[in-house]
Amino acid sequence: MTETAMVQTKSRVKTRRRFNWRQQVTAYLFLAPALIIFALVTWYPTLQTVLFSFQNVGLKGSQGWVGVQNYVRMLGNPDFVTAWKNTFGFVSLSIVLGLLVPVALAIMINEMRRLSQVFQMIIYLPALIPEAVALLVWRLIYHPEGGVLNSLLKLGGIPPQLWLQNPDLAKPAMVVIMTWIGAGGSTLIYLSALREIPTEVIEAAELDGFSPWQRIVHIFMPLLTSRIQLMLVLQIIFVAQVFTQPFILTQGGPAKSTTTPVLEIYNAAFVRSDFGLASAWGVSMLVILSVFAVLSVILRKEEVYK
Amino acid sequence: MSSMSRGIMSDVEWRSPAGRLIVGAFLIALLIASIVVLFPYFFSFTAGLKTSTEIFKPGLHLLPEEAMWKNYSDAWKRFSMIRIFKNSFIAAGGGVIGQLVVSSLAGFSLSRLNPKGKKVIQAIILITMAIPGIAYLVPRYVMMSDFPVIHVSLINNWWGIWIPYAASSFMILILKNAFDAIPRDIFDAAQVDGASEPRMFASIALPLTSSLILVLGILAFIGLWGDFLWPLLILRNEAMQTVPVRLYNLTRSFPVNLFLAGSFIAMLPPTIAALFLQRYVKGGLTI
Repeated sequence: MTETAMVQTKSRVKTRRRFNWRQQVTAYLFLAPALIIFALVTWYPTLQTVLFSFQNVGLKGSQGWVGVQNYVRMLGNPDFVTAWKNTFGFVSLSIVLGLLVPVALAIMINEMRRLSQVFQMIIYLPALIPEAVALLVWRLIYHPEGGVLNSLLKLGGIPPQLWLQNPDLAKPAMVVIMTWIGAGGSTLIYLSALREIPTEVIEAAELDGFSPWQRIVHIFMPLLTSRIQLMLVLQIIFVAQVFTQPFILTQGGPAKSTTTPVLEIYNAAFVRSDFGLASAWGVSMLVILSVFAVLSVILRKEEVYK
Repeated sequence: MSSMSRGIMSDVEWRSPAGRLIVGAFLIALLIASIVVLFPYFFSFTAGLKTSTEIFKPGLHLLPEEAMWKNYSDAWKRFSMIRIFKNSFIAAGGGVIGQLVVSSLAGFSLSRLNPKGKKVIQAIILITMAIPGIAYLVPRYVMMSDFPVIHVSLINNWWGIWIPYAASSFMILILKNAFDAIPRDIFDAAQVDGASEPRMFASIALPLTSSLILVLGILAFIGLWGDFLWPLLILRNEAMQTVPVRLYNLTRSFPVNLFLAGSFIAMLPPTIAALFLQRYVKGGLTI
């Protein structure tokens, strides 16, 4: 074995002569389940989405090619703009909350010594609950009459709000829930980043006379920045695909203020059986998110070279 | 676990008056955050103990006037909780087994068996992770309703859930990594002894990564337990619906207090699984 390895590193020609058919077959046999399943449920369907988007596909299958008609319909639909505007709104709100809260929590939990384990666990609990169940509970918390939130606010003298039924409040209300679910994971990631900092660095800063606040700003924050950037990109891609929340809580309302692209896809495909149109939407999501992902990779590479 | 016993402030600072003030403020903030975080649990638990009218009573009444524990047993029975728990367990359990089997085989091949085109395959798997699920949702569903070659409908069929669940690029890459970490000599020695590849897989690779596999399995289980959209589409039959889907469908059919009691019960299994996982991880991971 070692001999073969040495030969392989020396010259490529000799490697080809030792092509071991039996080993290759075994290797691919091991890979087969994964490759077959991926091809069946992911690769081929993705290709089909693109193909379907140019066809008229209903419950009985494809009815024929229609060129860009689906795309024309999609772009002509004012809901297209609305859905993406809403996505932008969701993303912005969730970035603000989804950044400040976990970072602050991470810094605070870091100081807690022995209690940090407890808080870590508590913060992470919401992420474990089946999302749909949590949403159903939150829907009742947000209930306009007699919901717990309004009752609490009344104690503080704030008038009851319509929350999920108010077009202006529906999105922030939902972002609160998203943060509630997602903050735990982000906090744990930032926390582990903080813990990676060698204590000597912090001690040195302390000896040099930096106040705790200055230490946070000058040591923690720069090191967190790269991780924050990564989390940000992932979060944006994740939030852009939000479905369960608008589906369970508001069905896209009120006044279409919480309609998202995925919700539109669901409606087109499973309510109206217009698979072609749904696929066009799907392709639009794929394109927009890919562009975004590529852009963010490029931007990050540039940062490194600065 | 962490060698760090300090945060920003040193031990001395921690005990100083100013330090105590800061830590105290942090503690209060964290306690408030904890209350907010735990509130939905608390709410569904206590609301489950109230009468339906009581829940919507104006004013803030956090605790029930009279704890109706009967609600919980009612919810348990009337929701057929055993059945929906069983369904979620079958769906998630089968999905996890599928993921582990498929991913460990693939990971082992990529790690030790050197297939031609290994780099390409790995790159494709990595890119697959980046594709948003929506991009293949609709055709995937269409395919499940008319499965190629054998032409059966996998709607209302456990395989319609298990097969897509088995595809996890993430798990393949993690397991490949774990197999890479096993020292080469062990495999070389086994090969000298005449072990076949499956043998090496089953008797060496798997046992050595068993802790990681267990952790991955539990995490995957927790994730799949909460999955909503796919079971909504595939498991339409009432008798097969999973926890999130069933509760969603039952929202209007039951009085609110029973519903919240049921929701609280539904929140428990993944939480318990996670607590168990934490204990296990703390006990020591040998990867």
